[in-house]
Amino acid sequence: MSASDASSSSKSQAASGGIGIANLPNQLHKIVTKKGTNFSLMVVGESGTGKTTFINTLLTTELIEPLDDASRRKKQLDKTVDINIHKAELEEKMFNVKLNVVDTPGFGDYVDNHDCWLPVVDFIENQYEQYLRQEQQPVRKGIVDMRVHACLYFIRPNGHTLKPLDVRAMKAIGARVNLIPVIAKADTLSPAALRQFKKRVMDVIDAQSIRIYQSPIESEDEHSTQRNKDITSAMPFAIIGSDREVKTADGRHVKGRLYPWGVAEVENDQHCDFKKLRSLLIRTHMLDLISTTEEVHYDKYRTTQMKTRKFGEPKPRKVDNKKFREEEETLRTRFTEKVKLEENRFRQWEQKLIAERDRLNKDLEQEHNLVKQLESEIEAIANSGSPNTKFFRK
Amino acid sequence: MAPSAPSINSTMSSRMATPRPSSYRNKFEKRGMTYNIMLVGQSGLGRRTFLNTLCEREVIPPSEAPNPDSANVADPMKFDTYEVPLEEEGTRVSLTVIDTPGFGDGLDNTSCFKQLQDYIEAQFDEVLVEESRVKRNRKYRDHRIHVLIYFIAPTGHSLRELDIELIRRLGEYVNIIPVIGRADSLTVDELATFKQNVMRDIEYYKLPVYNFCWDESDSEALKENRDIMDFIPFSVVTCDEVLDNEYGSVRVRRYPWGTIEIDDESQCDFALLRYIMLNSHIADLINYTEDVLYENYRTKKLEVGGFGEPEAEDGDEETSHTTDSKKPE
Repeated sequence: MSASDASSSSKSQAASGGIGIANLPNQLHKIVTKKGTNFSLMVVGESGTGKTTFINTLLTTELIEPLDDASRRKKQLDKTVDINIHKAELEEKMFNVKLNVVDTPGFGDYVDNHDCWLPVVDFIENQYEQYLRQEQQPVRKGIVDMRVHACLYFIRPNGHTLKPLDVRAMKAIGARVNLIPVIAKADTLSPAALRQFKKRVMDVIDAQSIRIYQSPIESEDEHSTQRNKDITSAMPFAIIGSDREVKTADGRHVKGRLYPWGVAEVENDQHCDFKKLRSLLIRTHMLDLISTTEEVHYDKYRTTQMKTRKFGEPKPRKVDNKKFREEEETLRTRFTEKVKLEENRFRQWEQKLIAERDRLNKDLEQEHNLVKQLESEIEAIANSGSPNTKFFRK
Repeated sequence: MAPSAPSINSTMSSRMATPRPSSYRNKFEKRGMTYNIMLVGQSGLGRRTFLNTLCEREVIPPSEAPNPDSANVADPMKFDTYEVPLEEEGTRVSLTVIDTPGFGDGLDNTSCFKQLQDYIEAQFDEVLVEESRVKRNRKYRDHRIHVLIYFIAPTGHSLRELDIELIRRLGEYVNIIPVIGRADSLTVDELATFKQNVMRDIEYYKLPVYNFCWDESDSEALKENRDIMDFIPFSVVTCDEVLDNEYGSVRVRRYPWGTIEIDDESQCDFALLRYIMLNSHIADLINYTEDVLYENYRTKKLEVGGFGEPEAEDGDEETSHTTDSKKPE
């Protein structure tokens, strides 16, 4: 009886005052608040799908500036995909986030877009690689973490289904990072067409085994669970972006797009899913995105790499990017040509010198012969015994 | 030679002022003018709905639901032909439309251009052969493409490599009119900027789009044509449904934030484009194709060593012999 008495008394003690374990979340909160956090977001999609506008709308600031004419013209026929990183520090109520936005201009923009997702995939894996190497260093302070926590893939709404380019790219990207498909410029589809398009996209994603980010649904309170359900059912998110304020017909000032026939509002759930996506990325699921990246995607990379490599060994570099191979070939041929040219020059020089030497030798020989001739003439005159020779002997 | 700008009779624009002489019209009264249009553009830019809206009826049925299992491979480009007899302001037009689904939808689209060029040249070759026959077929149907409507994606920035390459390669074989598909995704400002950027690209790369002002003989028509060139590329929105209101039926596209009236000139250029394509400039487009584009092609082909003389008095055998030997190109 006394044991149960003791246990019940300890329980009651816990129920009344406790030892203070319940305060742990508050401590964590203070630590995280002081440390801040690091969040990397990548946007992938063809040009003109509204990636830049979306980022600027999301952050309510012009983080990415639109390209000017000269740079745009240079990129038109460039045939390459670039990786541009934009950094920002956000602060809200004493909490800061170091935000990195990775943009991919040139993706899907050319006549031949074969393998255009390779630079994207390489970038993602390189960040994992960098983190892995840094983790293995003796001094681990101050690790630079650029691992991508979420990748938004902008689908152009063609009203039918996903293009082969989208399918292949999303498959490659989704296997390595949290992939969130997004329907760009959603204000070009009527509500019925949009519903149908969303369904078709999800069908393809299932059929082609494309891995997309699944947000956790269950939560402590009903409200959150319901909200999470709403968010998940709205995928892929249909968004429109606008960094400008316009006036609607009924006089409200909203962020939206002004058409001759009306205003499409960014923050209106009837018009698009922007609020849901913002909620997913920032308000509610940012931590989950970060932890999924670390615990699932990065871990997968780390496991596969460590199986084949020794601790501390650098990654063998694969140079199998077709475009780089072509460049390599051209550089190599140019180098060989230059070397050949130089060799020819030297050879010609050598020839000239030899010719010169021969000429001089010949001249020398001629002179030599002349001298000999003169000498023999002298001899002849000397030996002929003519009266003039007496002169010579003198 | 047919005159340039045909009859007015329109409620929309009082710009077209030159009347068409009746003799020209009578020639086509019975047969209907042969008019061939080609639609080129990536899928999802509204090619098919454009045709349906243009002809005011469902010419191309909506495509069936695509198979998700085969979404990772692109369908190769094909040529679908539709015949639509139309009547435009009293004139019968025997319209043939060639749609090109699959253009630009694959990963590597380099082969699309050659396919299009081959198709267009094949139509020219057919006419060349037909012309060279001693006994010509009276019922011969001309399949030369008179105008190619090219759909540009509404990126809002400028032309892409696909657009530039297409116009560059095909401009010498066919009249190309660039059009912005799904233009309802651009606001008023964005549309103006986009049109300006596209025009600048066209000038910079010297792209051979159809020059409305090619016939400089008629000064009045020339002025109208210069005004038309300001609209290039034409913004196109296509019709979803037809509403009935007090003014009659209106073709619209409805969104939660507003309704677009397709035929309203202030909202998009569809009505203007339709008028140009099927009324005012139909003769211009046909004439330019026959008198300039085809003639240039013919000259080039014959110079290289092509077909026998058209007026040869030799028997059928000899001309057909020479044509056959030169045909596979």
